[in-house]
Amino acid sequence: MSDRSRYPGYDVLAKRETPSWDEPTRRAIDKRLHVSTAARFLTAAEWAGADALCRRILPQDEEGETVPLAALLDAKLFADHGDGFREADMPYMREAWRAGLAALEAEAKARYDGHSFAAISIDDQDSLIAMMQKGLLSAAHWPGLDAQRFFERRVLVDVPALYYGHPKAWSEIGFGGPASPRGYVRLEGDRRDPWEAAEAVSGQEEAARRLNQHVV
Amino acid sequence: MIVNAARRLNRAAGMIAGSVLIDSAMEHHRGYFHNKLMWTPIATSSLSIAASFHGHTDRRHGAHRVRDVIYALAGVTGIVGTAFHLYNVTKKVGGWSWQNLFYSAPIGAPAAMSLCGLMGFLAERVRDNEPGSKPTIAGVNAGRVVAALTGASLLGTTAEAGLLHFRGAFHNPAMALPVTMPPIAAGLLAVAAVGRARVPRPASRKWLAATAAMGVAGVAFHAYGVSRGMGGWRNWRQNAFAGPPLPAPPAFTGLALAGLAALALLAAYPDE
Amino acid sequence: MREYPETDEVDFAIVGTGAGGGTLAALLAEQGFSVVAFDAGGYFRPLEDFASDETEQNNLYWTDKRVVDGANPIQMGGKNSGKSVGGSTVHYAMVSLRFRPEWFTSRSSLGYGADWPISWQEMWHYYGVAEREINVSGPLTYPWGPKRPRYPYRAHELNTAARLLAKGCEAIGIGWTETPLATLSAPHSGPEGKSPPCVYRGFCRFGCSTNAKRSALTVWIPRALRAGAEIRDLAMVGRIETGPDGRATGVHFHRENAWHFQRARNVVVAGYAIETPRLLLNSASDRFPDGLANSSGLVGKNLMTQSNQAVWGRMDQEVRWYKAPPSLAITEHWNYDDNKDFFGGYCWMGQGPLPNEWASIQTGSRGLWGHALREAMLDYNHMIGVKMVGEMLPDETNRVTLADDLDQYGLRVAKITYRWGENDKALIAHALQQMGRSIEAIGARDMFRQENDTNHLGGTARMGNDRRLSVVDGDCRSWDIRNLWVCDGSVFPTVGGVNPALTIQTIAIRTADRIKHLAAAGEL
Repeated sequence: MSDRSRYPGYDVLAKRETPSWDEPTRRAIDKRLHVSTAARFLTAAEWAGADALCRRILPQDEEGETVPLAALLDAKLFADHGDGFREADMPYMREAWRAGLAALEAEAKARYDGHSFAAISIDDQDSLIAMMQKGLLSAAHWPGLDAQRFFERRVLVDVPALYYGHPKAWSEIGFGGPASPRGYVRLEGDRRDPWEAAEAVSGQEEAARRLNQHVV
Repeated sequence: MIVNAARRLNRAAGMIAGSVLIDSAMEHHRGYFHNKLMWTPIATSSLSIAASFHGHTDRRHGAHRVRDVIYALAGVTGIVGTAFHLYNVTKKVGGWSWQNLFYSAPIGAPAAMSLCGLMGFLAERVRDNEPGSKPTIAGVNAGRVVAALTGASLLGTTAEAGLLHFRGAFHNPAMALPVTMPPIAAGLLAVAAVGRARVPRPASRKWLAATAAMGVAGVAFHAYGVSRGMGGWRNWRQNAFAGPPLPAPPAFTGLALAGLAALALLAAYPDE
Repeated sequence: MREYPETDEVDFAIVGTGAGGGTLAALLAEQGFSVVAFDAGGYFRPLEDFASDETEQNNLYWTDKRVVDGANPIQMGGKNSGKSVGGSTVHYAMVSLRFRPEWFTSRSSLGYGADWPISWQEMWHYYGVAEREINVSGPLTYPWGPKRPRYPYRAHELNTAARLLAKGCEAIGIGWTETPLATLSAPHSGPEGKSPPCVYRGFCRFGCSTNAKRSALTVWIPRALRAGAEIRDLAMVGRIETGPDGRATGVHFHRENAWHFQRARNVVVAGYAIETPRLLLNSASDRFPDGLANSSGLVGKNLMTQSNQAVWGRMDQEVRWYKAPPSLAITEHWNYDDNKDFFGGYCWMGQGPLPNEWASIQTGSRGLWGHALREAMLDYNHMIGVKMVGEMLPDETNRVTLADDLDQYGLRVAKITYRWGENDKALIAHALQQMGRSIEAIGARDMFRQENDTNHLGGTARMGNDRRLSVVDGDCRSWDIRNLWVCDGSVFPTVGGVNPALTIQTIAIRTADRIKHLAAAGEL
């Protein structure tokens, strides 16, 4: 991936003890940062499939911290923290995930010589996902579940939120992060408060990094 | 007496310069001095403080050339600053609108620098009278000139405070003080400026003293206002900059002190 | 807090403490009535409970089981359903707009929908009361509609996102204004204590932990408590009971793992457009087999949502829309310009989605995933967006019915059936084109549309002058059961092209006044 360091050196977590964070926020983020890596909802097979799927939806090939998407998904499903509603011909979130992961598994085995979704190549995984997105997967493996809508309504709704709900992602995109009690003084986009991320304008990455290392 | 009146005006100029120095420093820091010229009021207000202190210690008659230059620079800076702030207000979408008057560069703030320059100019003109003479400025009774110009200046600071307190919806009753007391002070100074000289005006003196105190109280009120922001003083990085400007109210004090000096001159000297 | 024994027959049992129920609870308690206001959700204390985090604050939304269907199923949750004391006002974007006067006579003046049984002049008076009580911060002159009194507080400072909306409007020759917002632009003291002004943190739709937001939680609930009302939280009302005379006798509610019954002289349903009809339908009995207040057959029907499409683009300059409330500037031009070949109006306003919401827009509208998604998200601080609130027309086939699914309380859940009509589609197409032109004109690039979004709800317990064509009368009193009231967005005969919260609170203020008169005349 190309310019991942748009905000070099910026870490939202560096503001944890500043007025930008308050106690309820620290509690909530700490819980997320220490999510259990032991499956409580998904079976071992489901976890493997979910893990492989999440790695394709939000690939994290670069060095450094990895957001544990499968663990966060498992925690979300365990707590049943979803949007609550289902379309008339789809199951609710938990059942949808179990059925969808099972169906994806069946698809992989049918197309790739009995191999699990987690075991096939990245390109093959991507290709299956693209077919799921375009509605090209055979209904045979998807009883009671529309593959395309599973992808739209569950995969694309639930998985990106796990990544972009994590401080690592906030730092990556230069989001201000938690902001209570302290909000923002300078509301102009091109004028940052000293506690906001500095964007690395081409040729001035060092200047941005220096600013980002001193978010107050 | 002439020199003492001049020294009072030097002090008034210095007080206003102090207010301008801290206010423009904070506000221009908020704007990150993105235009290098934003350093100018920092420089001219600092010089004005030095000049005013010098004038305060100077007991000689005669205008001081360097002080005159510094005060003139202050005066010009204020005018140029006003033009910049006007541009800042009108270039934003909506142009000349309440939104931009409320939230862009404060339109009346640079004028305080000019008022400092004006008070300093008056200080030197008063001083530039022979000992024992009846002091004049451009041929007119000095007391009348200082009273009239100080009164007009008070209306200016009232307008600026009024704009920002209007933005704050006068949410606290005390916010009515700087839009009621100074105009009355200005009125009293206008009456004194055109009325008979050598008349004691104890009520006017008391009102001007009260207005001077109002300026000091304003700092305390503004500090309370900062504490009313979310997170209070702990969140000073936001609240001191987004909240009511702490250094602004003493501009009223400076002008009120100049008004008292004008009343003293009027009480001491008849017209020619 | 004053607590009423269940065996006490309180004057008013109010189901729901949002824009309708919270307001009414306060005003009726202040009139001296005994009031118990129920809410299925919890009573949050913003300063202690609200985290500055999108994911954590999903706990403000109604995420219990529901079923959606139809050609255009409505996505429920944070766009239209709250579950906490204060209801959706806890998470709404504080946009406080008045209806266009002609909308109160949509059918006779403008040829669509249905007429309201309240005149615009009367509503105009009550709008002023609402804006004062809520303490709306708004512009000194409002470009559209008849004169209105000055907003109590001044409009907020515009952020870059808002200024770009404004520039876009000017570029295509239409007006814009600072949005009247229910959040403080200066400090305020009231029954809720001392509130600081907005700190421009941008988490408005996830609960205001500054307490600057003027929600039912900060405005009406403290007044209700002070006047002796009881706020009974974590209490899901499952059924309204009626007596042998056909009048309401009280409510069954689920609290602390058991069912209880509260006696009441009057029952007000204020659960908003999904839960209100659901409760009325779930309260069916032998005498009322089609649900309560349903002789017209209209309970649950004429569900309306509002179109919420958007156009997004990328600017060269940094925008950083996460700073400040999302919708600081707005244009209501197309609510007042009738040079259109469809009925109804729409406004559009600025946006400032936080990361999760922005990611869901990227995936939902552009189908992005994988590296493409991560790449696109890096432009977060350069994005601009304008989003509409568009009128959708009433259609009896759009409705709330009962599904067979049961929720955690053992109650049948709501099934929400919706499809857009031809007029709705024409309005949306017009709006997308206009919004696109406006941001294109100011240099937005890589523009894309969000075509599939709706937000606020209404219509499912419509008010009217004819008992055959409505559920409640102009006083929000149901025709069939004279001590059963509905006081929320369900009563709207039309939804207009503006956010409904101010109008809902205004109707509640008027209803409280009407109840005062009815009580004095012995007609309660």
